[in-house]
Amino acid sequence: MSVDVSGVDRETLVRPIQTFSKRYLAALAVGLGLIGVWLAFYLQQLQHGLIVTNLSDWGSGGGVPWGLYIGAFIWWVGIAHGGIILSAAVRLLGMDTYQPVARLAELLTIAALTCAGLFILIHVGRPDRLVTSVVPAWPTRVQWSPLMWDVTVITAYFVLTATYLALTIRYDIHRLRDRLPNLLDPLYDVLMIGYSEKEDEVVERMVWWIAFAIIIMAPLLLHGGVIPWLFALLPSMAGWAGGVQGPSFLSIALTSAVSGIIIVAAAFRTAYGWEELIPDAVFRGLSQWLGFFSLIFLWLQLQQVITGIFAAPTTLQHATEVKIATPLYWVAIGLVALAMLYAFAASLRPELFSIRTMVALSVGVLAGTLAEKVLFVVEGLQHAHFALYDGVPGAYVPSPTELSALLGTIGIVVLFFLVVSKVIPVVELHAIEDDHEEVSP
Amino acid sequence: MSTDESPPPGDDEERYRRLLDETEHDTELGLEMGRDAQRVSAGELSELEFYRRYHDRIVEEFDIDDREIDLPDPDEAEPDDVGFLDRIGSALEGIDPDGEESRRSVMKKGAAAAGAMAVGTWGSAQTAAGQDDGHGGGAGADEGDGTRWGMTINLNNCDGCLACMVACNQEHNLSRGANWMYVFAFEDEGQGDETNFLPRTCQHCTDSPCTKVCPVGARHTRSEDGLVLTDYDICIGCRYCEVSCPYGVNYFQWGEPDVPESEVDDAHQIDDRGRWVGSRPPEGVMGKCTFCVDRQDGQMGEEKIGTTACEEACAMDAIHFGDLNDSESPPNQHLREYREGQENDLSEFPNRKAHTASTFKLMEERGTEPNVRFVGNEPSPHAEQVEGPVAYEDMGLTDDRKEVLDEGASATQGGESA
Ligand code: SF4
Ligand code: SF4
Ligand code: SF4
Repeated sequence: MSVDVSGVDRETLVRPIQTFSKRYLAALAVGLGLIGVWLAFYLQQLQHGLIVTNLSDWGSGGGVPWGLYIGAFIWWVGIAHGGIILSAAVRLLGMDTYQPVARLAELLTIAALTCAGLFILIHVGRPDRLVTSVVPAWPTRVQWSPLMWDVTVITAYFVLTATYLALTIRYDIHRLRDRLPNLLDPLYDVLMIGYSEKEDEVVERMVWWIAFAIIIMAPLLLHGGVIPWLFALLPSMAGWAGGVQGPSFLSIALTSAVSGIIIVAAAFRTAYGWEELIPDAVFRGLSQWLGFFSLIFLWLQLQQVITGIFAAPTTLQHATEVKIATPLYWVAIGLVALAMLYAFAASLRPELFSIRTMVALSVGVLAGTLAEKVLFVVEGLQHAHFALYDGVPGAYVPSPTELSALLGTIGIVVLFFLVVSKVIPVVELHAIEDDHEEVSP
Repeated sequence: MSTDESPPPGDDEERYRRLLDETEHDTELGLEMGRDAQRVSAGELSELEFYRRYHDRIVEEFDIDDREIDLPDPDEAEPDDVGFLDRIGSALEGIDPDGEESRRSVMKKGAAAAGAMAVGTWGSAQTAAGQDDGHGGGAGADEGDGTRWGMTINLNNCDGCLACMVACNQEHNLSRGANWMYVFAFEDEGQGDETNFLPRTCQHCTDSPCTKVCPVGARHTRSEDGLVLTDYDICIGCRYCEVSCPYGVNYFQWGEPDVPESEVDDAHQIDDRGRWVGSRPPEGVMGKCTFCVDRQDGQMGEEKIGTTACEEACAMDAIHFGDLNDSESPPNQHLREYREGQENDLSEFPNRKAHTASTFKLMEERGTEPNVRFVGNEPSPHAEQVEGPVAYEDMGLTDDRKEVLDEGASATQGGESA
């Protein structure tokens, strides 16, 4: 299934840069508002310490030391990781249909990684030491601590994605410069340092190799490896152990990322009348992918549940029984299952498909994966192998401070897209112009 | 593995090769060092030459952190310094670049090298073989060199009075609910409604997951005596050590400590290496039982070395603290006496254990190699915590820390502490 969007003109592509609307202002206000709410709460946390959260010590402390902050951290990393995998797959496999959303996926990756990093910052008790303690320890600790692996890999992915984006942006800016705002010329000058048209071919090869690297490393890094290993390698909690965590996390990453891309793409399409630029076919294709990834997600959940309840070791069995007795878990599973069923139904009966429904279901999927991840962290902690403590299954409900951080990071992503879309074309020129034509001044 | 049992001394190179192969380090280097060490002891090679020959390769292999060890400067090394090899031995022991795991393998290596030496006249094969499990003492070290602090806790003596908890809380200025020492009262299957007790400290594991996972090396094993400590100056408060510890012994400082910094004496906080590891942690930093590091460093007087506050407070003689590498230390002595008091009948069944005493380490199957041993019945997976004869509240203690934290969370405006 391939769609031809090459008829779309350059005017359409730069529409977000050249227009300015009340709706834009409203979105900006929402984004800033969300960030503001979070900052107000976060100042409290800085002042009083993590006591303002609902976290506590596990064991005799009757609570969980990791909660929403870590769950949301994983969630954002998942969105980021899935986003970059999808964009790399588009480039590597030449899936031209999705070219209009490839850059959106890359931008989503950058924004989501930023949010993930932020969650680490607000999770730790001494954010002031992040640099002074982590940098000197890096050379000796990186081979031991899964948390250090995470920090390393996230930084690496950030650099990789930013490079990738910067390289492909140069091509576009060069050719669209006359349509970009003069006000930002200094910025474009910096982005274009040393550019010559000769580099295009080289860049294309480089981009291919970076994409190749991303795909090859996907099963090992971020949600394929270091993030699940953060838990799966520990000897303490029954619900966390096991080799299934890697594939399971990866399936969550891909599911969340496709949902994220559907939402962002639909938002741009609606806001800028991009029916031609991001046609229906893109959404139909994405929703099929979502259905497929959801299926894998559900399958891996089934694996965990079955191995956890059938003659499992006592602590694992207990952890699994509690998990399947938690209503929120079934809500999460239900939301993902619903999206899957709809996606499959719509591919059998195309007239069932509507972008609006798909967006709503995508929001549901994101809520579901977030809930599943937070439950994974929290319930995981509540079922230690050492079960003697009465306080082990301590209750945990995220505090307003913690919840506000979730809103804050969503605000950051909104703000990020609003700002970036005013500066660079968020859909690449290649999407509408197949050939590498020379610049027409 | 108990320290007073050591495998029979072996003298073939193959054995050391196998021992060395188990480590991730260069086997040849270990064997060569072992051979040359024999030549040193036979007077065929000068110690200075020995040092020069291996210095660079040791550094390359183990990536020595010079803060933590002092290898002799080749130019200053006294050629006839008799303790020289011992110093190499303890240097190997001191290498602790990346936590416990590497220390263990270095130990194995060093121990094996020392073992190879032992084939000659130097040291004893026992020293080498006794280190197989990577415990405490260093290669070629004298008995006294390899301290490994630990405990024997006799559950049969404990009556659940909670005096140890109170003593620990007071001595370390702990915030409410941060119970570095925690006494469980529990009932178990098949024991009717008889209440059992289990005093729980940090197990100061030899193969501690908490030190492995710490991203910044704040949680570490002190190489001189195996104490697992937290460097309060480095810890970023990520709580990874807490989630990785199978025993739930970590207590984070969620808010302002109950006892302000001005009321805590430096002598109790700074250890003999100059690192801030003692007493309660500051806000945003992880804390747990330190095995009373200030006492072990002599900060509370010579006579307190080898004691802990909880042990001292226990009127029932349940807690026995000391050097597990010393067969005469209180924990080893207590265990021996207890076992001897419960001899098995070997006249008819010579293959039975020598004693009937039940001992265990908590969740040994997790592979953490705890340094706390218990005498008594291990709680089964079905054991349930119950109210003990003395309530935590009656002793001024807080059981469920969450209650204090919730108070604090809702009263942050007033700067409530916990
Ligand atoms: S008991 Fe827990 S905190 Fe103590 S050394 Fe072992 S793993 Fe670390
Ligand atoms: S809380 Fe502190 S000591 Fe524990 S793992 Fe994190 S940095 Fe290390
Ligand atoms: S050894 Fe010291 S720090 Fe540990 S529980 Fe006993 S009194 Fe507390």
